[in-house]
Amino acid sequence: MIALRPGDEGYPARLRDLARPPDPLWLTGELTALARRPAVAIVGTRRLTPYGERVARELAGGVARAGALVISGLAQGIDSEAHRAALEAGAPSVAVLGEGIAAFDAGVRGRRRHLATRLRQHGALVSEYEPGITAKGWMFAKRNATIAALADAVVIVEAGERSGALITAAEAARLRRPLYAVPGPLGALRSEGTNALIALGTARALTGAGALVEAMGLRSSDATGACADPLADPSAPSERGVAGELRDLLAAGPLSADALAARLRLAPPEAATAFAAALLRGEVVLTGDGRIARR
Amino acid sequence: MPEAAPAGSDAAADSDAVAGSGAPARSEEPRRSDAPTRSVARVAACALWGLETALVTVEADVANGLPQFTVVGLPDAAVQEARERVRAAIRNSGFEFPLRRVTVNLAPAERKKEGTGFDLAIALAILRASGQLASDPAALCLGELALDGALRPVRGAMPRVRCALEHGLGAVFVARENAPEAAALGAEAYAFAGLRGVVAHVEGSVRITPAPVPAAGPPPVFPVDLADIAGQETPKRALELAAAGGHGLLFIGPPGTGKTLLARALPSILPPLDPDELLAASAIHSVAGLADPERPLLAARPFRAPHHTASRLALVGGGTPPRPGEVSLAHGGALFLDELAEFSPVVLDTLREPLEEGAVTISRAGTAATYPARFTLVAATNPCPCGMAGDPERECRCLPEAIDRYRARVSGPLLDRIDLRVHVPRVAYAELRASAAARETSATVRERVREARERMRVRLAGTGRRANAELTVAEVRTHCALDAAADVLAGEAVRSRRLSARGFHRVLRVARTAADLAGAERVRVEDLAQALLLRAEP
Repeated sequence: MIALRPGDEGYPARLRDLARPPDPLWLTGELTALARRPAVAIVGTRRLTPYGERVARELAGGVARAGALVISGLAQGIDSEAHRAALEAGAPSVAVLGEGIAAFDAGVRGRRRHLATRLRQHGALVSEYEPGITAKGWMFAKRNATIAALADAVVIVEAGERSGALITAAEAARLRRPLYAVPGPLGALRSEGTNALIALGTARALTGAGALVEAMGLRSSDATGACADPLADPSAPSERGVAGELRDLLAAGPLSADALAARLRLAPPEAATAFAAALLRGEVVLTGDGRIARR
Repeated sequence: MPEAAPAGSDAAADSDAVAGSGAPARSEEPRRSDAPTRSVARVAACALWGLETALVTVEADVANGLPQFTVVGLPDAAVQEARERVRAAIRNSGFEFPLRRVTVNLAPAERKKEGTGFDLAIALAILRASGQLASDPAALCLGELALDGALRPVRGAMPRVRCALEHGLGAVFVARENAPEAAALGAEAYAFAGLRGVVAHVEGSVRITPAPVPAAGPPPVFPVDLADIAGQETPKRALELAAAGGHGLLFIGPPGTGKTLLARALPSILPPLDPDELLAASAIHSVAGLADPERPLLAARPFRAPHHTASRLALVGGGTPPRPGEVSLAHGGALFLDELAEFSPVVLDTLREPLEEGAVTISRAGTAATYPARFTLVAATNPCPCGMAGDPERECRCLPEAIDRYRARVSGPLLDRIDLRVHVPRVAYAELRASAAARETSATVRERVREARERMRVRLAGTGRRANAELTVAEVRTHCALDAAADVLAGEAVRSRRLSARGFHRVLRVARTAADLAGAERVRVEDLAQALLLRAEP
């Protein structure tokens, strides 16, 4: 673990936009990760919906593959999905913690613990708090300002009316960082915050990973390996065939196999074969309760 | 005038020693009948440890000496108490309990004898040894005696009678309630109300006829039929696969979507019991004291649904003497665990042994009993603590970590053994109202399941496996041949590495069952596809 002072080489200059830049900024992991540019903050609610999960993964994966650094808060929910997608795309990711790094290590459990380990290996964990300081409510708000400052652009994927992610949005606006929000279904609790940002004009509506990549001045890379390319290019004609229909039907959220088969008007054997093929190609996944979701 | 005890006999006092009562020399003993007194009487009985049986010879010796009544041959407390019961029963049946040195041995003496089933045999042996019973009862004698001499039924009559038959003993003397069990196995079952009746029958003064074999009875009526359930095609399909192949099945869905109803429809599509499964399952119910006197042989595969507050003892068995638990009562049938996440993890862990071995061994203070426990496991759970995840009409309020913790309760070795995991969604009202005529009935599905099982039986003959769920990795390689298209899909599955090697082997077993249900020789692509889709990872 190292402590970066504002004068040190490697201390991100953009942090100086804050009224009180972190001094020092504690870091564990790869120092070079912070130098990767452009940096995109992808944040949102802890209680994500399957829609939010998919969008977070698509955006983070897409922009990471294109060369950006994904920054987030390592909270459960949207943050964790963004980190994971970036790592899976083979890119580093940086997590800004709302407590001291040692305190975080002592308290974290389960999948986030595993994720934190992977971030240290391929990215970094940073904190403006001394390592032993445990989390207190107000610390997360300050952390959100740091996230906004570290980023070249901020994306709110899904946020309820009172989500902490809206603080990150407010800070982004204050620091004049480009702010984007993902539109969600009208009336959905977890999209009330994001939809409001868009309606008020505070954030621009983001329509896909491709749009984000372009906005960052990057070029979309070729998809490699077994993962299907999630970049949605709005100008291309819509994909034909069952695979395309499948992506379409699952855009709003997962569906059970029966519902999907009914909408595709397929008999059970053909439906099963089509879904299984899509599953193996990585276009869809099975959710924890047996429904089919878009990857 | 009481005589003094002859020299050389033990002076040990007994609780029933009557002061000064004589012990007449054997040769001058007054007799109740003309039959000679045998020096040692022998009556056949049968011991039971769990389902394990062994023929026991109850020997009785009546000798000179101070009045004493001892039972040897490692009797447990219940058998020791038989002394009091037998003594009172003999007296109250109009016979005389010999005021001499009575010794009863339960041979072979090496193994502990348990339970009250030896009462009748002990009483008859004593009567024979004291000249009050004219001839040997040439039958297995099984029953508990009441103090007034009435004969009471015992648990586990069926396996004991089977043991007798295997040893060439074709006749049994039992209480009325145990007679159907014995008759059902083909034994000459004589039902008696009490000790007097047995003696009268043996001596020939009042012979009775054996009990008739119980009538087959009407075919079972199942409370839930598949046609009662609207929609839910995939869950029903999973149920059919579980019924045919014996695969474990987990239903996941919001509350009120019909998971319990679906599980309770399973008995209506299970195939009929094999003859040896029938005997084993009926014997287990007999040992548990749950045999239906009208119908001792089970009519249908058992379906057990313990509540999630069930203890370890209730689930796997135990107690002294060790009694079968729910897993054994479900042998040959299905065990349904509703609200799986509410079961204590400690209790769920005890399922490992039966799921792995197909049997449970219960050890208690020196005795051990092994009960078979091969069943199809069906379970139902909510997707998250609030239950709403995946419900299109409601929003889930749970934090992801809370969901992870909830799902972790149903994880590890137990989940590993559940081949089928299916989402049970909320069915739209319109579909609920749709005509029931279009839905398949359980009878139709049951026929398909029966045929599939038959195909399995033919293919697996000689391997000792009954259903595809039991296949080992090597057997999967041999028996689950894929057709060309399925082979391609299988290749992709392996290459994609979304499935572990073990997971893939489980998928193949399910695919084999799907193919069997369709009557296909080799596993087809749609069979493999369906199996792949039924493996949601919670």
